[in-house]
Amino acid sequence: MTEIVLRILSAVLIFPGGVFAIALGLLLKGVERRLVARLQRRIGPPLLQPFYDLAKLMQKETFVPDLADAGLFLLTPMIGVASMSVAMALLPMAGVYTPSAALGDLIILFYLISLPALALMLSGSASGSPFGALGFSREMAMMLAYEGPILLVIVSVALYVGQATGGGVTFDLVTIVRYQINHGPLLLEWRLAPALLAYLAFIPANLGMPPFDIPEAETELAEGPLLEYSGSSLGLLKLGAAIKAVVVTALGITLFWPNGPAGVAGVLVFIAKHMLVVGGLALLKAGVGRMRIDQAVLFYLKWPMLLGGVALVAVRA
Amino acid sequence: MRFLAKAARKSPWIYRINAGSCNGCDVELATTACIPRYDIERLGCQYCGSPKHADIILITGPVTVGVKDKLLRVYAQVPEPKVTVAVGICPISGGVFRESYSIAGPLDQFVPVDVNVPGCPPRPQAIIEGLALAIEIWGERAEAAA
Ligand code: SF4
Repeated sequence: MTEIVLRILSAVLIFPGGVFAIALGLLLKGVERRLVARLQRRIGPPLLQPFYDLAKLMQKETFVPDLADAGLFLLTPMIGVASMSVAMALLPMAGVYTPSAALGDLIILFYLISLPALALMLSGSASGSPFGALGFSREMAMMLAYEGPILLVIVSVALYVGQATGGGVTFDLVTIVRYQINHGPLLLEWRLAPALLAYLAFIPANLGMPPFDIPEAETELAEGPLLEYSGSSLGLLKLGAAIKAVVVTALGITLFWPNGPAGVAGVLVFIAKHMLVVGGLALLKAGVGRMRIDQAVLFYLKWPMLLGGVALVAVRA
Repeated sequence: MRFLAKAARKSPWIYRINAGSCNGCDVELATTACIPRYDIERLGCQYCGSPKHADIILITGPVTVGVKDKLLRVYAQVPEPKVTVAVGICPISGGVFRESYSIAGPLDQFVPVDVNVPGCPPRPQAIIEGLALAIEIWGERAEAAA
């Protein structure tokens, strides 16, 4: 019993959650900023800039606005970091890490991934600022728009693997990974291609990256829910966002392309796949402006939803 | 904790306040000196949408009577430690608006100013040099606070 608890704790706090996820998330953020700078023909910040930013924020004064609900206001940034560390511990890394069955499956993971957005909404409304409230309503609209398609994607993959392994639907992540190691990645399965596209469209929305950085739009909403945060609680929010980027990409990798060698090489391959996604995100960030909230919501309800539906029907047929 | 302070030196986030400027300085500051072309992100700088995230505050304009209280309120929302830069001759002496009935400035009556960047408006290079000086001061303050 204690052995399992210790294993889970180390998975959540050190590898692949906690320390590893934080370091990787901040590093990827640095790579992304650097890439965007290069795409704009400038030098850009040092690779370790997000680490410096975080260290700086930890030393600054932390304000709680008069109008805010202080407890909730200071608690929500922690929810983001905590839920993402647990989510990371749920995701298997082929040949490197297999999560303990006690932790949970895809459905739990899906809930955990929605938690930071919910926490951000709470932050926005707890801060007592009108910008925060606007950010809250936009975040909510975005969430309603992208949760549907992502659920379709998850169910398509679960159904596909479930059918192939003989029993209905499987939400067990380890089974999904094992199936792909034996039969090749689902990336190459044409019936799941629409699901892959829908997932790729989901990544920037969930991470609040352009063109879907609408809830935190710093130009018109002054960063929305983040507006009232300062010092270490802002640092925690940034940290949560960095780990979330790792988790969301890692879920994509688990669903579509978990294959890799064992040991340290496996970790490197895992990081390399992350770099691919970060490259795409940097291109988007340097290349497009922000959408309006109605455009973004319509976009999600139209295309990724359609793609997810098509994938589900194709897998079922 | 020394290394934390060292890291802070490399992460000065900037916020700008228009205290009644004619907009000349804002154009030089926001759309010429701090755009990707001159790449102040190299120095770790980042524009903030909120004063609560900022470390270095750039203030333009002569501090008009109407804007004075708002300026002080926003200024108070920048968490310590912080560094203030006055951009343009207006916040330094009132510039062309000097002795006008609607001016409450100069700026250093109300807030401690660390760097002055004179000019009407100053050249982008001058603003960036002022920013570099401010970053030096910011580093010292961050280390002193740690
Ligand atoms: S210094 Fe000159 S350009 Fe700048 S705000 Fe004053 S009058 Fe305008």
